[in-house]
Amino acid sequence: MKRLLLLSILFSIIIFSSCARKVTRIDPAETPDINGSWNNNDSRLTAEELTKQVLSEKWLSEYSSQKGKKPVVIVGMVTNKSHEHIEAETFMKDLERSFITTGKVGLVQSGKKREEMRAEKADMQSNTSVSTMKKFGLEKGADFILQGSINSIVDAFKRKKTVTYQINLELTNIETNEVVWIGDKKIAKYVKN
Amino acid sequence: MRTIITILCLLFFVQIQAQNLAPDQNPSYLTSQNKYILVEDSLQNTMNTTVQQTYKAFDWYQFKQERKQNRINTRQQIRINRSMNSFDFNNNGWDNSGFNNNRWNNNRRNNNNNWNNGFNNNRFFSSIGFRSGNWFFWF
Repeated sequence: MKRLLLLSILFSIIIFSSCARKVTRIDPAETPDINGSWNNNDSRLTAEELTKQVLSEKWLSEYSSQKGKKPVVIVGMVTNKSHEHIEAETFMKDLERSFITTGKVGLVQSGKKREEMRAEKADMQSNTSVSTMKKFGLEKGADFILQGSINSIVDAFKRKKTVTYQINLELTNIETNEVVWIGDKKIAKYVKN
Repeated sequence: MRTIITILCLLFFVQIQAQNLAPDQNPSYLTSQNKYILVEDSLQNTMNTTVQQTYKAFDWYQFKQERKQNRINTRQQIRINRSMNSFDFNNNGWDNSGFNNNRWNNNRRNNNNNWNNGFNNNRFFSSIGFRSGNWFFWF
């Protein structure tokens, strides 16, 4: 009787443990491809490639030698015109981080974060002490704006599919409208269901 | 004399304006500046964001999966609708009022034959029980 009870407990443990959800930590640099959609690997490869391109091309040295200072960049809009929902912030942040860590390019805040900053400054005008209050009109102006687009081409028949992503980033001189750099990264995938 | 004074004044103002211009700057830059200052906020809404303009790509496999799921959903909806309107199921399409006028069939909502007399073609649902609309729940 005791043996039967033990066996039934063991059996139930095996049954229920096999049904339980299992989560394991993996290295973000080695995320496996599950269904062929845009994933962490693609974002990382894009960031690496574009960072390498933007920091090594001639626009940077030309500007620095002409003006005698490092260029200041503001991040603009990225348009996702692909067939999947892709958030560009995942690779844009890596790019922005590279500007700051290398110290070759200055970066100014944009979008909602800039609005929040200005709101905080406005709040300071009536709430903080005069010695610590920050003034309006002293923000650093950007020299270049970084804009981009994501495109994709899908070719599918029956269980086979190829997907090609093209990520483009453009750097434009705000004063002259001159495009000084275009970076691109192409990712092609073959998916068999 | 008046004309000369007007021309001199005009030249003076043009000179002042030219002094404010950067080298090679378009003198009518203010037209554009005033236009964009008015719409600045709305144009900067999307800054530092990803604007999603995605399209639906044709994927044969995905299309097949979706079609299968739609079929499952439709069948499920039909079953739900059938169970909601189950009183009609026992209607065999014929007026059975002349037959089986026993005391069980004379309720107000179902004058049809609820017993398995061969006219009832409902293969999936029992003719007695919950939601079947028969006498069992109508007392």
